[in-house]
Amino acid sequence: MTPLVGVAVFTVITVVLALLVAFRPELTRARGGKILAFLALFILPVAASWLGFSKQMSRAESTQFCLSCHVMHDYGRSLYADDPSFVPAKHFQNRLVPRDHACYTCHTDYTMFGPISSKMRGLHHLYVEYLGAIPKPGQIKLYTPFNNRECLYCHLGARTYEEATEHHKTPDMLARIKSNQLSCMSSNCHDTIHAIDSLKDVTFWKGGQ
Amino acid sequence: MPNGTASPVIEKRLKWAAVLIVIGLIIQMFSFVKIHPLLFVAFLMIGCPFLAAGVLLYLYSLASHEPTRPASPTDS
Repeated sequence: MTPLVGVAVFTVITVVLALLVAFRPELTRARGGKILAFLALFILPVAASWLGFSKQMSRAESTQFCLSCHVMHDYGRSLYADDPSFVPAKHFQNRLVPRDHACYTCHTDYTMFGPISSKMRGLHHLYVEYLGAIPKPGQIKLYTPFNNRECLYCHLGARTYEEATEHHKTPDMLARIKSNQLSCMSSNCHDTIHAIDSLKDVTFWKGGQ
Repeated sequence: MPNGTASPVIEKRLKWAAVLIVIGLIIQMFSFVKIHPLLFVAFLMIGCPFLAAGVLLYLYSLASHEPTRPASPTDS
């Protein structure tokens, strides 16, 4: 039984018990009925809601969720660019990030309240999508420059990262990267990100669908 | 809830609490039909408030209920 089916079954049981109380409130005159009401109108609904909430939070981190807004379409296409210089495409196609959580993996903040602030940003995006002025895909910018912390969450300590000659061009280069003084996405480094303006000139990987 | 004969008032409140909870839970279940931001918002902004209102009404019905006591022989 998948977690979603489990949540659904739990919720249906709660609904049935709550309906029983709704149609037969006189049951609560007896001790057993009082216990039933306590379960059906307090314990089970709160538990069902909490289970549903955690499931919804997990679904809100999925790639499908992020790409469901039309304005994100090109960003989703960029994950399939057949060009390893596209940083997100390289990560997505080589499973360096989970494909079903590709956007969230790089765009959340790896801090104590990062997941919450990510959800708040998502709610703001939703407001803009349905009630605000939607920018053109090429005009979308990050709120703040991308923090190296998000890259280092995975790469820090990896041999391919620590010993790469490109990361030792100057003696203090690695330290500057780790302290976010030198962005991973500086020019001539990993500077091709989604690059949606150049998507018309690239071919697309057909796998991973 | 204390023992004793429940008054129609508390039963009416329990009934409404149950109805609100059922509405909230049905909306929450509906929000799982598809992965979409609007359904996430429906869960959070419609389903949860209905459910919270039902639970709070249930708790209020318990807190505000005055049990009817059988008349004792010493009562005049």
